[in-house]
Amino acid sequence: MTPLFHLLAAQAADPEVIDRIPSGYSHFVIPFTIGITFMLCWIGVGCIRLLYAIPQADRLKFWKSLFLPKTIVKNLKDLFGDCLLHVKIWQRKPLLGYMHSAIAFGWFMLIVLGHIEVALFVPARLNVTRGGLFYPIFYRYFVWMNPGHTTLRGSFFFFLMDFFLLYVLSGIALAVFKRFRSIVLGMRHTTKPSFADRVALYSLWMIFPLRLLAESFTADLSGGSFLTVGVNHFWHFLFGDKLWFTPCWWAYSICLGLFFAAMPFSRYMHILTEVLWILLRNAGIQPHHPRKGVAEAEIYACSSCGLCLDACPMNVQKKNLKYSSVYFIRFLRRHNEKKINAIADKCLMCDKCHALCPVGVDAPALRRAQRATVNNALPYDYSYLASAVSSGQPSGHGRVHSRFAAAEYGLGPAAVPETALTESKSPRVLYFAGCMTHLTPRIIKSVDKVFKAAGVDYVFADREGGICCGRPLMLAGRTEAAAVVIEANKKMIEESGCDTLVLSCPICFKVFKEEYHLAGIKVVHYTQFINDLIISGRLPVQKKEQKLVYHDPCELGRGCGVYFEPRAALNQLGTLVKASKEYDESICCGGSLGSLTLDSRDRSKISEASLDSLLANDPETIVTACPLCLKTFSEAVSNVRGRDINVSVKDFAEVVCP
Amino acid sequence: MKNNILIIGGGPAGLEASAQLQRMGYNVILIEKSPKLGGHLAKWDRLFPDSVPADEVLGGLLRGSEGVKCFTDTDVRAINRLDKSYNVRLTNGITVLSDAVLVASGFDLFDAVKKEEYGYGIYDQVMTNADLEAYFKTGSDRRIENPGRIGFAHCVGSRDEKSGCRSCSKVCCATAVKQAIEMKQAFPQAEVYCFYMDLRLFGRHYEDLYLKAQKEYGIRFIRGRLAEVSENYDGTLQVKAEDTVAGKPLKVTLDLLVLMAGMRPSASGKAIGDLLEMAVEEDGYFAVRSGIAACQRSPIPGIFLAGAATGPKTLPETLADARAAAMEIDRYLTEIFPDARNYKQLVRERW
Repeated sequence: MTPLFHLLAAQAADPEVIDRIPSGYSHFVIPFTIGITFMLCWIGVGCIRLLYAIPQADRLKFWKSLFLPKTIVKNLKDLFGDCLLHVKIWQRKPLLGYMHSAIAFGWFMLIVLGHIEVALFVPARLNVTRGGLFYPIFYRYFVWMNPGHTTLRGSFFFFLMDFFLLYVLSGIALAVFKRFRSIVLGMRHTTKPSFADRVALYSLWMIFPLRLLAESFTADLSGGSFLTVGVNHFWHFLFGDKLWFTPCWWAYSICLGLFFAAMPFSRYMHILTEVLWILLRNAGIQPHHPRKGVAEAEIYACSSCGLCLDACPMNVQKKNLKYSSVYFIRFLRRHNEKKINAIADKCLMCDKCHALCPVGVDAPALRRAQRATVNNALPYDYSYLASAVSSGQPSGHGRVHSRFAAAEYGLGPAAVPETALTESKSPRVLYFAGCMTHLTPRIIKSVDKVFKAAGVDYVFADREGGICCGRPLMLAGRTEAAAVVIEANKKMIEESGCDTLVLSCPICFKVFKEEYHLAGIKVVHYTQFINDLIISGRLPVQKKEQKLVYHDPCELGRGCGVYFEPRAALNQLGTLVKASKEYDESICCGGSLGSLTLDSRDRSKISEASLDSLLANDPETIVTACPLCLKTFSEAVSNVRGRDINVSVKDFAEVVCP
Repeated sequence: MKNNILIIGGGPAGLEASAQLQRMGYNVILIEKSPKLGGHLAKWDRLFPDSVPADEVLGGLLRGSEGVKCFTDTDVRAINRLDKSYNVRLTNGITVLSDAVLVASGFDLFDAVKKEEYGYGIYDQVMTNADLEAYFKTGSDRRIENPGRIGFAHCVGSRDEKSGCRSCSKVCCATAVKQAIEMKQAFPQAEVYCFYMDLRLFGRHYEDLYLKAQKEYGIRFIRGRLAEVSENYDGTLQVKAEDTVAGKPLKVTLDLLVLMAGMRPSASGKAIGDLLEMAVEEDGYFAVRSGIAACQRSPIPGIFLAGAATGPKTLPETLADARAAAMEIDRYLTEIFPDARNYKQLVRERW
């Protein structure tokens, strides 16, 4: 065994790596160079155009965010977690996560290590004028290892390069397998690739086997480790000393070139645009248009992986696959106006595709923006509202104040509300039921019971029926009309002098939380409020012998992140069993008012699927905290065909105070 | 000619068909799942358009079907088809070998609790058309105490995709007009409102009834569906609607709201259909051989249908349908059934 200092001495005397081809160029690099140059130009121009399309203020915000320590940390975390390691996919589908991270992280490491090798052994070649664009990629072709001068450092890199190549190859093997049997990797449906996708896909499949082939042919010249050297011995065993490595390097380069040339038109553009999208997303910039600016980054960040296909509640019927977010984004990318609008209107806006998206593409927000482009321009005649006000009918701005007064002082001479009598001029707690709750009056009754049991003095803001919170208008893309409604409600609430606003409808809750900006007023959902009442001991509860299952309403769970409080309260009231899909994977009840065009038969199929998930552990009662879910499930349980189910559907407040 | 015929359902259709078939000389067995014959008719007080007492009509039907073997409190436990006839096991332990089966399972009233926004079962002062008829019959209902303002909501559970029924129930418009008049007669001081989408007063005298309601009784018809109902502290109801003629949203305080619950396929009829594997259409009612030329024949040979089992019908329509079914059964039992050798071919050609 040679002592280590001898090795070091030898290295000093003779170089470890010798330029086998002094020019550092061979014709086979041409396809790769063309491909990558095209792709880099394309993305460079694209980035400039994109940043130019962002409003001035947002652009400033973006540049600033790049230097804020908080966002820097978040950016680094997300770039590593989302782009390279695919943590979000790992968490849900480990095998799929392994596949993606093997290809992404493995390839990334191959590129980085390749460059480090060049930097260490032939640093001059990193210069672009001396082939820096392609030399590190085809490093093994151009060099010759000086036999007997290999250092530990060189072997270490040989090993790493082979290790990561094997890692990527295992990912590719899984990807090929996934094409045929995706369900094994946890995907029921996969996306239909477009033509460019296919070109890129097949060349991607070929790149790494060809790289192994090429590097193994040259392994006895340029070195290698367990994989390439091993395969090299195998070739020698098969073909003797006749090895044709030039065609292999050509093929490798062609596949790379083809991949990069197809990339801008294929789903694989996400590899690079994802970075930009994550930076923009973390800067907190919202899309204003479904196609321009930030939205463009979002659209190109979509990896078209198809995880949203299985997530989408509409896809219990195969015919609805075409309305999934992945296709919506694909058609946005292609500017296919006709299809975009049909798809945008169909969505239930349950936000599950967003919650499950590995890159966090907010497709529902894009759909909303798309709806706004059409629906804001629709003419609506509200002139009758003015005449309604003059004839004593409540509506519009003028109504708000009078309506609130009515809630405080009674409905008229005939009826004086009890709460108003005991109420001081400025109520502490204001309860806003909202339109949907008015359609399910048992919730109003139960909430009243709960408040009375806990001794909460409250004022019912919309006893006589209020004006809409604005969220349905926003979901329909009528942002301008929504702004008018929001302004009117805001005035009413601020004038009430309350310090807590309680909402029983998650649809209202979301918009009150996000759009109203009520200074000094705590906006809470009644599940949170009631849970606090129970914790503080103001509301005595008793645990009963009952098996409950809780349905996470879309707007409350995924929309506002309220998962814990309703469950905490229900655990005090009975035994809470699990649904097969819950928390952010909860399935929309089918009644969502987010969809503008989905018909009742399709909706009932969704309700059935949602019920199936809820009934997985044979609960006696389905509890939900949304009037729309309550209504939908109440109707759906009686219509489930071919099954004998005996389950009641109750609102959260009903369970608290039966 | 003494074929056994089983009639399932002792409502108007079943009674009328059994009377006709008995007259033709058949051996009729009528079963009724409830303790009393007459179906919904037995629960009604007076009938539109001429306010004929329901008891009178029912009495006539019962007299006509005297002598029919009748089992009340009886349902079908199992049915199996033999070569041509049906072997029917009843819940009272009797087994009937029947050459033809007439399904006259009728309808159920839409469960108004499901239309929660109208508050039936939640607010005290909301009732249904059936509740009001019961009041007319018995003269007492805790909800009715000299009401000042009464509202009738048409189309509750019919023509309403949201409650799972797209089609019209046919009888509610005329019933609402009739009941509105009757309430006005009972409480002349009351203001009566009808909230409708459009009035489907297609039958003879129906339009006259509607005119009379407006002219003589001053009943106010408001075109617009109820949006929602809420309860005031004093128990009165606050009703929100839209007057689509005036193009205005509307709010009315009412002392009593009557919901015109529509017709849904009967649950017990569905159970029989499941036993027989009979086809139902999307609306839940039984499918017929032909919607125009053979409305009383089911797709299964030997199984006949009459009355509201094949969709909403008014009472005269139901009776006519039952008579037609009797004729169809007679034709089947004389032309097709006896010819054992050519039975299958005849069924193919003439069923």
